[in-house]
Amino acid sequence: MKKVVIAVAGLAIISGATSASGQDAGTFHIGAAAPLSGPQAIFGQGLTNGMQLYFDQLNAAGGLPGGHKVELVKADDRADPREGVLVAQKFCDDEQMIGVLAHFNSGVTIPSLDVYGGCSMPQVTVSSNPQVTQLGFGHVFRAANDDYAQAQLSASYAIETLKEKRAAIIQDKQAFGEGVAKIFEDKFKALGGEVTSVSGVNSTDVDFGPVITSLKAENPDMVYVGAVMPQLALIVRQMREQGIKASYFVPDGGFTPDLFAQAGKDNAEGTLITFQVPPYDSKPELVAFAKAYREKFGKEPDTYDAYGYLAAWIVGETLKGMSKADVNRENLIKALHATNLKNSLLGIDVSFTEHGDLKGGLAFLYKATDGQFKLVK
Amino acid sequence: MELIQQTVNALSIGAIYALIALGYTMVYGVLKLLNFAHGEMFMLGAFFSYWLIAQVVGSSETLSFLQFVGIGLSILFSCLLVGLVAMLLERIVYRPLRGKPRLSPLLGALGMSIVLQNVVQISVGPGIFAYPTLFGSTRIEIGGIGINRTAIVIIGLSVALMAALQVFLQRSRTGVRIRALAEDHEIARLIGIEINKPIAAIFFIGGALGALGGVLYAANYGVMQFSMGTIVGLKAFTAAVLGGIGSVPGAVLGGFLLGLLETFAAGLLPKLTGGLIGTEYRDVVAFAVLIVVLIFRPSGLLGRPEGTGEASDKKDF
Repeated sequence: MKKVVIAVAGLAIISGATSASGQDAGTFHIGAAAPLSGPQAIFGQGLTNGMQLYFDQLNAAGGLPGGHKVELVKADDRADPREGVLVAQKFCDDEQMIGVLAHFNSGVTIPSLDVYGGCSMPQVTVSSNPQVTQLGFGHVFRAANDDYAQAQLSASYAIETLKEKRAAIIQDKQAFGEGVAKIFEDKFKALGGEVTSVSGVNSTDVDFGPVITSLKAENPDMVYVGAVMPQLALIVRQMREQGIKASYFVPDGGFTPDLFAQAGKDNAEGTLITFQVPPYDSKPELVAFAKAYREKFGKEPDTYDAYGYLAAWIVGETLKGMSKADVNRENLIKALHATNLKNSLLGIDVSFTEHGDLKGGLAFLYKATDGQFKLVK
Repeated sequence: MELIQQTVNALSIGAIYALIALGYTMVYGVLKLLNFAHGEMFMLGAFFSYWLIAQVVGSSETLSFLQFVGIGLSILFSCLLVGLVAMLLERIVYRPLRGKPRLSPLLGALGMSIVLQNVVQISVGPGIFAYPTLFGSTRIEIGGIGINRTAIVIIGLSVALMAALQVFLQRSRTGVRIRALAEDHEIARLIGIEINKPIAAIFFIGGALGALGGVLYAANYGVMQFSMGTIVGLKAFTAAVLGGIGSVPGAVLGGFLLGLLETFAAGLLPKLTGGLIGTEYRDVVAFAVLIVVLIFRPSGLLGRPEGTGEASDKKDF
């Protein structure tokens, strides 16, 4: 144990020394940690590419007011909670570091909160587990929705656009499935809808015949399912086979070609799926982002890369509103709490709740149409 | 009306449980072995047929008559193949352990279950595969009661095969030998019945029927995965115990009964209890009934009472 502590301390000193050397003192560091190797590397690299793109644009345009540059310091957390904590300590020890964009996986972000909290480091994350902002840390901000918020969009779309009144809910009794189903139910009722039944199923089930037969007797306008794949596909397949024509709403797990493969293209047709990311051709800002990304990295941006850019943009734009003398970790936390930014890449205004969650929704509704997902809202 | 619809739902899942339960019950009847690798025969059936059917169908959208025949042959061939795997398992693992304390072959079976699952996981990956809808998902409505074509095939094919198995066991020479072995191992050997061939036959038949169960299950729900045999295998084992393990008619009865229990627990209980007991309690209800049955009839509904002084009883742990 002692050896480990010494090794860790040694590592921190060495890395602190290397990152401090040869830097001009007027440069601010922003840390970025995500899985850059291993099976999730594709997400981490895309995410940090998005961040890099923003800071490169910022520096190319002359940096922060007063000409100070911002340098992105990347670290690999290997999607491993233990590695994440080490990275966090390293970032804390870097005195030029004024904020971090970390981490990607909720399981890594949650244990890192304590470390960043201990050195008052402003932390902007894209992790979607609701716990991240609910543990009482004041320094963490989520530049994404929590897992459950997407269900509100389904409820409001069903009531306001489709004029549906009666919903049946199926959920798989898991944290995610039960969470989204509850949010949906509350929102649907608040908007004046009637919930005909809430059925719990086991997350390993593949036979939903009995549940669907009882649903059929209730004759709902729509069915909302809080679950993951393959259940989302199996339920719609068995629903359509039993002749239920109610519209079918599912959370982000259904945003995959597997939906068509496992449910059958005809059965999946018309399924309404909420997802966190708009298509890159849907807005001029996103088209410009995709173009700049292609030019810099030589490939198309992946699904989550815009979130990296968004997180970096939030920190960068907030820093622009601060004077050089004021910039330190504590003040940046305060500034982020008060921040109010317009016209973000994803088309929403950015401000945070007292817990550090984004105010307003950040979800997009897609419709399964002829084997493709088409954006409807 | 809903009651009849739920019964129709129950019959198709019950038929699959019954098909698989036959493999458990026949092996137990003769060897007093709980063959926990049997669930993997179910899984292998789905995977073998998936691969063979993909070769036959290729990428064509509509099927020619010849391809239909090809699909039929693929299913038949994959069942035979799995039957051979089951025989091989018996030859390599269970035969050397025969006569050893009952715990040894039991652990061997558990081990083989893990090995087979992992072999499949490593060779094709842990993902979920979309299995083709072999018999079409067209729904036939009769007076408000709907049944899809796959369910009709499942029920028809299972009932026919179970009847055929019963005839085979009652009439054929091998069937008579199997029954003699199940009756009393030692006496059967004393009067000169060769035991290895009937035992191999049991594994072959059980494996092939289990594989067919896998094909029908995957075609009905449209998905398959390397781990699919665990849960369904456990359910089928439960069905065999419910009906009386060792009894062939018992396995069939147990399979259908378990299907009915599960379906009514999931479909009707939430209504009867006003939502107090939700559909997620279906396994709880099914297993609670099993426990009650076993309290009053420890050897299952149609099972022979044990403890009659057979030589095999004394080997119990």
